Amino acid sequence: MSVLRLERVCRYYESTPPVKALHEVDLEIEAGEMLAIVGPSGSGKSTLLNVMGTLDRPTSGRVWVDGEETSDMSDGALSGLRSSQLGFVFQGFHLMETVGIVDNVATGLLYQAVPKRQRRDRAAAALTKVGLGDRLDARPTQLSGGQRQRVAIARAIVADPALVLADEPTGNLDSSTSRDIMELFANLNQAGATIVVITHDNELADQLPRTVAMSDGQIVADRVKAISQAAGGVS
Amino acid sequence: MSQSSVRPLDLIGIGTIGLRSRPGRTALTAIGIAIGIASMVAVLGISSSSKANLIAEIDSLGTNLLQVQGGQSVLGESSPLPVSSQAMVDRIPTVTDSASVIQIATKVQRNRFEDEPNGLSVLAVGRGANKTLELEAASGKLIEGETASLPVAVLGSVAAERLGISRVADGVTVSIAGHNFAVVGILKPLTLNPDLDRSVMIGDWAAFDLLGVDANPSTIYLRVRPERIEATRPLLARTANPKAPNEVSVSRPSDALEARAKVDKGLQQLLLGLGGVALVVGGVGVANVMVISVLERRGEIGLRRALGAKRGHIRSQFVIEAATLAGIGGLIGAVLGSAVTWAYATRQGWLVDIPVTGLAYGVGGALLIGAIAGLYPASKAARLDPAEAVRPHA
Repeated sequence: MSVLRLERVCRYYESTPPVKALHEVDLEIEAGEMLAIVGPSGSGKSTLLNVMGTLDRPTSGRVWVDGEETSDMSDGALSGLRSSQLGFVFQGFHLMETVGIVDNVATGLLYQAVPKRQRRDRAAAALTKVGLGDRLDARPTQLSGGQRQRVAIARAIVADPALVLADEPTGNLDSSTSRDIMELFANLNQAGATIVVITHDNELADQLPRTVAMSDGQIVADRVKAISQAAGGVS
Repeated sequence: MSQSSVRPLDLIGIGTIGLRSRPGRTALTAIGIAIGIASMVAVLGISSSSKANLIAEIDSLGTNLLQVQGGQSVLGESSPLPVSSQAMVDRIPTVTDSASVIQIATKVQRNRFEDEPNGLSVLAVGRGANKTLELEAASGKLIEGETASLPVAVLGSVAAERLGISRVADGVTVSIAGHNFAVVGILKPLTLNPDLDRSVMIGDWAAFDLLGVDANPSTIYLRVRPERIEATRPLLARTANPKAPNEVSVSRPSDALEARAKVDKGLQQLLLGLGGVALVVGGVGVANVMVISVLERRGEIGLRRALGAKRGHIRSQFVIEAATLAGIGGLIGAVLGSAVTWAYATRQGWLVDIPVTGLAYGVGGALLIGAIAGLYPASKAARLDPAEAVRPHA
């Protein structure tokens, strides 16, 4: 079963003439996949991510998340879906600087009414998974940019979502840190997470098994790398 | 699909995180509310301390003093009490002390040549008056025993002032109906019976012998066993004047004073109103800060929506934050107001009476004002488009 399915999704913004941020987009993502969505700025990548993440509703077309059709869902139901099935990583980290990183990550479970102790335990486990197991007492201000993004990634995966959506996760990082972050995503993907990374960095995108290219609100290419296919075929 | 939900305790945690991360702003905003609450608590506290003090004073003077007066008949003629009335009243077992006072229809002057009206009355007082009325001499002595038949006078505090006599000395006299009376004492002010301050008292036998006054008392003062006051009161009219009980009036001087303690409301309400205005201004300040806070925290709001917060969760977060902010102000105000009350009352030498229900209402009111002030910013925050809110801003 696909984790995410878009069918003829359009997202228009009202103005004259209307802005077609997304036009007739079809996309299907299977569990365990890791893909990049690339394209120049203004091509509709972020709108696509918001629609996939149910933060934005399409003007027309249908979106399924983990097998559930979302167009008729109430705000409360969509919020429930986001809290349990979707994890987000943003370019700007969005960490609370006045609380420690464990509590920052634990926020990822706050809206599922998980008891505090359990939230913190699971947050510590998620932080260990992203390589910050030895910095559990730190505050975001004591960490480097790369480490902060790891905290944000830990927060996105702490609820074991069906799909992790990362919007320019390396946009604020230098190239070597960016490579580390992409490596972390690859490792999480190996461990079973389904991950979508939005980036305008083609080089970065090329490392991923699948690349979806966008231009003017439409998907212009959807390539699955031969290597990963081959690797799959050989075994 | 399960909806997202938050544990109530966590909701409070979320609602205070914004305050905890900006302590300086929190304190400054809370001050506005604190001033409003403090002034209201202080107004209530000071006035209730003053009232408590007055009532304690009345209690110490004794609320068991009753006053029986001859009144008027149905035809409008004055109807004095019978001569035997004091003796009759004395027989009631719950009456512990009594004194009869005769109002004499004459004037008192410094000497026989003066004729200026001075508004002073002349009273003939009988045995028991010193004890029943708790008379105390500020200067000189009281009329006692045999002096009741001598031409001597004791002045009420106001009477002494009006007659120009500040202390007792040999040869100081006043003129009553052409007779000279030697001034032997000046009384301390009488809180329970301020009328007596404006009178000159002479002994009853002197009044009968020298002035030929009738022996019918105008007023009988009596002390009653405190727990039996209400039971005794209805008996008095019938006992004092069995022939015409309707013409007798019975009163309790402390009642009038207690009523006066409650009357002084006008100024208090004005000050409370001013405190209310300060409170509303404080509430507007809270709303203002919350609106700014929502603008600043778009990213946080977007993130929370992405993490699964419903609109209602965001709304509650900001309403709780505003209410907590105002509640902190309310608490500070309550403490401040109590301190002002304590300091002022102590300085005045009053009993300190801090109104506990007033404090509770103050803090509760502050919470309510905060919640109301938070409604608009909170609904603004809840309506933010999550996709828009998570977008990085310059």
